[in-house]
Amino acid sequence: MKYLVSDSPHIRGKRTTRGIMLDVLIALLPATVVGCVYFGGAAVASIAISVAAAVASEVVFRLIKREKIQDILRGFDFTSVVTGLLLALTLPSQAPWYVPMLSSVFAIVVVKMLFGGTGKNLVNPAITGRVFAFIAFQSVMVSGWIAPSMIAISPVAVSGASGSVSTGATQLTSILGGTGLTVSNLDLFLGTGVAGCIGETCKLALLIGGVYLVVRRVIKWEYPVIYIVVTGLVASAIGKDIGLFVPSILSGGLFLGAIFMATDYVTSPHTRAANWIYMALLGVVTAALRAATKIEVVSFAILLMNLLVPLFNAYIRPRTFGAPSFVGQMKAKLAAAREKRAQNPDKEDAQ
Amino acid sequence: MKIKTKFFARGVHIPDKKSLSSGCPIRELPAPETVAIALSQHIGKPARPVVTVGDVVEHGTLIAEADGAVSANVFASVSGKVIAIENRPLPRGGTTDCVVIESDGKDSETTLPPLGEITPENIVARIREAGIVGMGGAGFPTAVKMSPKTPVDTLIINGAECEPYLTCDHRLMIEKTDELVDGAKLLAKALGVERIIFAVELNKPDAIAKLDVCEGVLVAELRKRYPMGSEKHLIYSCTGRRVPPGKLPADVGVIVENVATAFAVYEAVRLNKPLCDRVMTVSGEGVNEPANLRVRLGTSYRYLLDACGGETDDAFAYIAGGPMMGATLLSTDFHTRKTDSGLLVLTARQASISAPTACIHCGRCAEVCPMHLLPMDIDFYTLAGDYDGARDRGGALNCIECGTCAYVCPANRALVQSIQMCKQKLRERR
Ligand code: SF4
Ligand code: SF4
Repeated sequence: MKYLVSDSPHIRGKRTTRGIMLDVLIALLPATVVGCVYFGGAAVASIAISVAAAVASEVVFRLIKREKIQDILRGFDFTSVVTGLLLALTLPSQAPWYVPMLSSVFAIVVVKMLFGGTGKNLVNPAITGRVFAFIAFQSVMVSGWIAPSMIAISPVAVSGASGSVSTGATQLTSILGGTGLTVSNLDLFLGTGVAGCIGETCKLALLIGGVYLVVRRVIKWEYPVIYIVVTGLVASAIGKDIGLFVPSILSGGLFLGAIFMATDYVTSPHTRAANWIYMALLGVVTAALRAATKIEVVSFAILLMNLLVPLFNAYIRPRTFGAPSFVGQMKAKLAAAREKRAQNPDKEDAQ
Repeated sequence: MKIKTKFFARGVHIPDKKSLSSGCPIRELPAPETVAIALSQHIGKPARPVVTVGDVVEHGTLIAEADGAVSANVFASVSGKVIAIENRPLPRGGTTDCVVIESDGKDSETTLPPLGEITPENIVARIREAGIVGMGGAGFPTAVKMSPKTPVDTLIINGAECEPYLTCDHRLMIEKTDELVDGAKLLAKALGVERIIFAVELNKPDAIAKLDVCEGVLVAELRKRYPMGSEKHLIYSCTGRRVPPGKLPADVGVIVENVATAFAVYEAVRLNKPLCDRVMTVSGEGVNEPANLRVRLGTSYRYLLDACGGETDDAFAYIAGGPMMGATLLSTDFHTRKTDSGLLVLTARQASISAPTACIHCGRCAEVCPMHLLPMDIDFYTLAGDYDGARDRGGALNCIECGTCAYVCPANRALVQSIQMCKQKLRERR
């Protein structure tokens, strides 16, 4: 007879890290498929290269650290697949092949593995990979946006253009640059006729993924909602025009960032309350940076806020069950002081 | 009469698996050939043996007496001869002296002297005399609890039984309802309180219905939620009072006693029977015939399992107590104590065996922690050797070790073990 010794509790919930990562991958599926349809073979290639590079660099890194191949396979938690895919979705489809590859390697090796692997990274690998791409390959990255194959379904009359938008700028840059909208909100929502990164243009697909994550209880619905709404509100306030609300939340990488990146467990605060504040601040930072720089900054904003997460974790902590609230503590202190004074009234006089 | 309950938001829903044994009436288990009765079956000092090897005892003879105030008397659970007093290991580690008695098969019984008038003092004296301790798992001598330092106005009888699989309290509530209510009233009398609340989780509707029609007790129908049976959360759910960290239930005017304890009090006061047996659940997918058994203290686990048709071929993990807070056993060579509410055998499908992986900071543990702590921080700081950090940032000292955090952790972190280690280190340092 064998006797198993295990740690209590001896039964566990069904959730595993791997299961959660698979859920994220499933949630990313709609956006991935739509991205491939909109941007064609280049997008497919980009995604494939990025994911392959991410997985390969994790495996190679661990092999170099002399981990056994069986252990690597058994312990494979799909986080690098998520990173590779997310990263590809944040890159423009026209980026040459080495951009997704090198950014992916950077994201996994420098941002994740060197910090100790899954769960130990300070900032989100995919986001940092994207920022890396934009800095390292500036010339190729801003050389021009490719319009999707899908043309706008309800072109805006004022723009004068019909069908697909002119290449060269995403919608967001157009809004921020003051040139005005060239597509309707519906097109922004569907990503039809909107230039942009592979996975960020079709908000509908992202939204479907987001709903899936909420239903599967991978993320809390409030988190992306707070981020998106606050961004829209602050953007409207800065532009002094509530009409900016919808276009500002529907353009750029906000949905992708809010649903899939800001909510990354490792790089967001631990507790629910802290996350509310975190997401709201993210919204403010995003809208303000957008207004200040006139370029898309969701990734920079998230990267910046990632760095503040340790502070959130250190200072926003739940109150232990049964412990008096702040008000309660103050009341108790006041009562104690009053009692003390009541007990020795002359001492007060002496002072 | 039912009372309104408060909602506590944390905790987690766990499949309760109670249907395995909840339909099995309590079965009296015949006395085994030998029993090994531990002298330490409670919190506090082990009892001092008052018999020696070769003594002849009866079922109900005092074999060891309380050593000091926080200790408890221990009685023989069979009649026969003391064949050894020896040191034996305990399921959770450590050892205790045991009085080993060989049964003569006659099971001749002796009882405590009649109590006379039932006054609060007499009830407390009888509780002490009968060696009654908290039978929900803590094993705190009940008599000590009966003289709280602060005024109390409520007695809660804990019938939440929130641990999966266990059904012994459930069976007691439906089979011995009147006796239990009487025991609860005796406890209330000893405490001088009027309000008696039976706290029962909603998954035991038959128990609720039976208690509901009893005179003089209130019934709190509790939502099914682990860890509802935790004292602090039970008190909050029933009364809305929160026990501050580091305080006792009595500080908010409440005393909590377990169902089995109330039943033991009934037997001690009305039938003059000392505590020498208890009801236990033997269950789990790895047991052929799950059952609720009335077991002599000191009965070996092996004997219990054999009485339940033995284990299935895929038996995998043996657990003393519930699956959330119990201890896995290295062998079945242990003996029933006053605090044992269950013996479980799980198959590989149920028992958790996967190795821990890195914390992904998902926050689930903090979200479900009923004490509102930060288990991931406790884990992190403890493993880094920073016990002060674990205490100050994670709140390690307020942990009730319920295991809810580890239950939900997708990375399978050994959170409870970190917490226990941290507490241990902090204790050692003092
Ligand atoms: S539940 Fe587990 S993985 Fe999640 S934060 Fe807590 S310890 Fe980390
Ligand atoms: S930290 Fe302690 S009290 Fe909180 S869930 Fe974990 S074991 Fe329970």
